[in-house]
This record gives sequence, structure tokens and C-alpha cells, in this order.
Amino acid sequence: MNLFLKEMKRNSVSLISWLIVIIVLISITMAVYPTFMANQSKIMALMTIVPKGALQFKGISNFTDLLSPVGFYAANNVIYMMVLGSIYSIILASNIILSEEYNKTAEYLLTWPVSRNEIFINKTAVILLNILLLNLTACAAGLIWLELVKTGPLNFVAFMILSLYTLLLNFFFGAAGLLISTLIKKAKPITTFSVGLVLILYFIETISKITDGISGIGYLSPFRYARIDAVSPDYGLDTLNLLYFIGLSLLFGVLAWSIYKRKDIFL
Amino acid sequence: MISPVIEITGLSKFYGKARGIEHIDLEVQRGEIFGFIGPNGAGKSTTIRILLNLIFPTEGSAKIMGMDVTHESKKIKQLTGYVPSDANAYRHMDVNEFLNFCMRFYGVNDNEKLASMADLFDLDLKRKISDLSMGNRKKVSIVQSLIHDPQLLILDEPTTGLDPLMQAKFFDLLQSENRKGLTIFFSSHILSEIQMLCKRVAIIKDGRIIKVEDIDTLRRKQLKKVSIVFKDKMSAENFRIPGIDTLDTSMDNILSFMYSGRIDELLSRLSGINIEDMTIEEPSLEEIFMHYYQ
Repeated sequence: MNLFLKEMKRNSVSLISWLIVIIVLISITMAVYPTFMANQSKIMALMTIVPKGALQFKGISNFTDLLSPVGFYAANNVIYMMVLGSIYSIILASNIILSEEYNKTAEYLLTWPVSRNEIFINKTAVILLNILLLNLTACAAGLIWLELVKTGPLNFVAFMILSLYTLLLNFFFGAAGLLISTLIKKAKPITTFSVGLVLILYFIETISKITDGISGIGYLSPFRYARIDAVSPDYGLDTLNLLYFIGLSLLFGVLAWSIYKRKDIFL
Repeated sequence: MISPVIEITGLSKFYGKARGIEHIDLEVQRGEIFGFIGPNGAGKSTTIRILLNLIFPTEGSAKIMGMDVTHESKKIKQLTGYVPSDANAYRHMDVNEFLNFCMRFYGVNDNEKLASMADLFDLDLKRKISDLSMGNRKKVSIVQSLIHDPQLLILDEPTTGLDPLMQAKFFDLLQSENRKGLTIFFSSHILSEIQMLCKRVAIIKDGRIIKVEDIDTLRRKQLKKVSIVFKDKMSAENFRIPGIDTLDTSMDNILSFMYSGRIDELLSRLSGINIEDMTIEEPSLEEIFMHYYQ
């Protein structure tokens, strides 16, 4: 608990900063929705010149999807929570253990009576709780805005499923960050690499959606498995997608744990 | 028979093909202040990091208080204190926060002892770690290593950054704790520190223990590096004094040599000779190694 509390405190400023950024971005986007609805015929006319692929990558199968508040939220906020949330998750996870090495504080922490298992469990708990807090706050902010701007009944289930996919995607990148950090032999910050990895995987998914003939490469990206087509009639929790996220996140976590237990800490 | 506090058997560590340490055997007895000396890169820190389970041995084993350093590390650490060579504590904490964070791992809450140790080392508990000099961070490191009354203290170049006054206080504290029963494993590349504190010393070079020697024996061999500038040309043939070794005669009026005898005897033999300048200094470790272990 000692280590857990210390890590929560240490990461609190970063978490609050990210929360503020995401709430502001969601608010700015959703504040536009009433104007969008008021001018929907003009905007729809404008949207006809947008390539179909560009809409697909935002999870929109046709323009009318945007008229639903959840569809509008999903299309416009996906980048905030899915991409920025994933970047936050991977930065947090990839540095939380590795920073003890490159800051040389491991010479204290690992020489005090605390096992590597305890260190790993406490730090993983901090990652999970921080990602959960980020997602719950974003979810609450989104829900409040949807309630404020809705003109009819809200598809609450679709919104919650979308939020769950986002959470699972963020956990996935958290687990990936943890694994990458345990694989690093020479202790140094890997923030650039981690952020680059998220952006490349997002780029792969984007390219695969807007380019004919290479849609298959999108399956290499975890973003493919986080469904954002919230207004599709068949939108729901797909077992395979859930297994993908839960299975790989657990696998990365267990691998990171087993590597960390036997890792030489170079300082 | 009382088992050694530290017992290292055939310990090796390789980083890929690079050598860390090779086949080290070592025993440190309870209540000893044991010196571990060698030049940088000799394998001192590698040995210590294996003892503290920061790294894993390639082969061999090490025990502290009869417990295996790899498998019973947590129990060992409860009874051990450590001062690392780089005193990089958590920079976002203040000193008090850091030391309390440390104490909670040991399950102790001795604020009285914390205050007295801070007082001894003239340490401001309210200052942020990031604002501290190397010397002050070292003091924090020393306090955290002793705050839980360990049975074994492992020191890795502990005096780096400490001013002479603080070094003296630190050595007094070590001797006082040693009298109470604390075993100390003192790693350094400074021979005079080791000679001042330790009862026995292990000399490590290129990853291997060259010699484990009683410090009194080493002291009897006390070695000085002497350089004399004569007013006139001086022949090495005319300069035969017991205790002189590795005499350098490359310049006509300058003689340099290692001297392991008594300084007063050397000076009496030099009386009557026209000397322009003379320096007597402590040899580097490399020179000592060359002298003793060629």
C-alpha cells in the first residue's frame, strides 16, 4: 500500500492534466452538436464531398449516423479517448517501472524489504486505476454532454459499449507498455517510442479503412477491434474482440511480470 | 560455529560475453568491518548488486545470514542496509517524505531516531531531494540505510560527495554501530578509507579476487610513492635503500620509486644528499596492485 499510495500521488498531476485536456476536448466537440443539428442540411451537403473512407474510419457508414448524438459523439470523440487515452496509458505503463531504473531509484526501492512481485502488483494496480479513472471521467463527461444536447431518446447501451471498448483498448496499451518496459535492457525513457507505437497502429487502421485492397492490414492494429460504429444496427460486444483485448492484455501482463521477476536491473 | 554473515561461493556474472565477476569466493564474519577494494570496473558493484538481488548470478551462489540472496531476498533486506554509490533518491519528495517512505517498508516509525540522525548529519528534513547537493543526498542515503537498525550494512563508495568533516562523523558512526554488533561490507577504491576502518580486506581486479588480507598485514606493507629531485646527477647504484622498489631512473637527477619501509629511515638515509625537491604521496591502486601482485 505504501508504494501504491506513493505512485498514485506521483502520477496524480499527470492524471489531472490529462483529465482536463480530455474533458475540454469532449466539451468543445459536443458543444458544437446543437449548431450541427441546426444546420444539418447545409453540413450534409458539404459532407457529400468527404471521401467515404474518411467517414468509415470515424465509424460512420452514412451521413445520417451523425444526426444521432451517440453517433456524433462516437465519430468525433474517438480520437480523444481512443488515441489520446491509449497514449496516456502506454506512457504511464512504460515508465512506471522503467523510471526506477533510469532515475536510479531502484537502488533504493529494490534494496528495501519489498519483493519484485509486490512492486509489480502495486505498480500494475496504479496503472489500472489511473486508466479506469481517466475512462470513467471521460465517460461521465460524455454522458453529461449527451444528456445536455439530446433531442430524443439516447442509446445508452451503445454509449456504454463504446466506452467499454475504449477502456479495453486503453488497458491493452497499458499492458503493452508494461511489457515493453520490462524488455528494455538499457534503462532510458521510452516515451517517444511508446507514443510512436500507438500512432503507427492507429495510422495502420486508418490507412486500411480508407484504402481499397489493404483493409486486411487493419487486423494488425488493436484499433480495428475497438468498434466505434456505435449507431450500426448490429453494434454490440463481439466475443472475439473481447477475447482479443482481454486475452492479449493478460498475456502481455503475465509476460511482463515473469520477465520483471528475473530481470537484471542495470543502473 | 557461527556462520558467516556473507558467504559467496564460486560467484560469476557475465553480461553476454562481457565479464562482470568470475568465480568469487568470499566470507565476511559477523561483527567485521570488511573492506572490498578495487579499481573502477573491477567488479565491486556487480558483486554488491548480486548480494542485493538487483542482478542475478550467472553461476555460483551467495548467502547473507544463511539465506540465499536470490530466493530469500526480502527477508535479507529486512536485516540489511545499503548506501549506493549514486545517491539518487526520489527527486519529487522532500527528505522527510523520502525517509518516512523508506521506514514504512521496514515497518518502523522511529521519528526520534530520524531526527537525531538528521541532526548528526546536519540534514534539513524539509528540503526537496531535487534541491540537494550530491553530499546532502549521500547523507540522506546514509540515514535511510541505518534507520531500521540493520544487522548488515553494505556500502558502495559511501564517501563520494561527503566533505572531510562529514566523512569523519560518518566513520565515527560506523565504528559506533560496529561496536554494537553491526557487520559492515565497505566497498571503495580509496585505500586509506579501507585502512582506516576495516579489519580485513578483499582486493578485486578484473572480476577476480586477487587477495583477501588482514588489514594489519597490509598496513605493515604500507606503500608510498616517492619522487626526489636531486641537485646533481644521482646514480641508482648509489641509492640502495631497503624497502625501495620499482626504481625509475629515466632522468639523471630525478628518482621515483615505491617505498614500503619507514619514512623516518628513508629521511635519515637521505640526509647529507643535496635534494632540491621531494614528494611523498599515496600510490594509486593500480600502482599498489603492480607492486604487490605482479
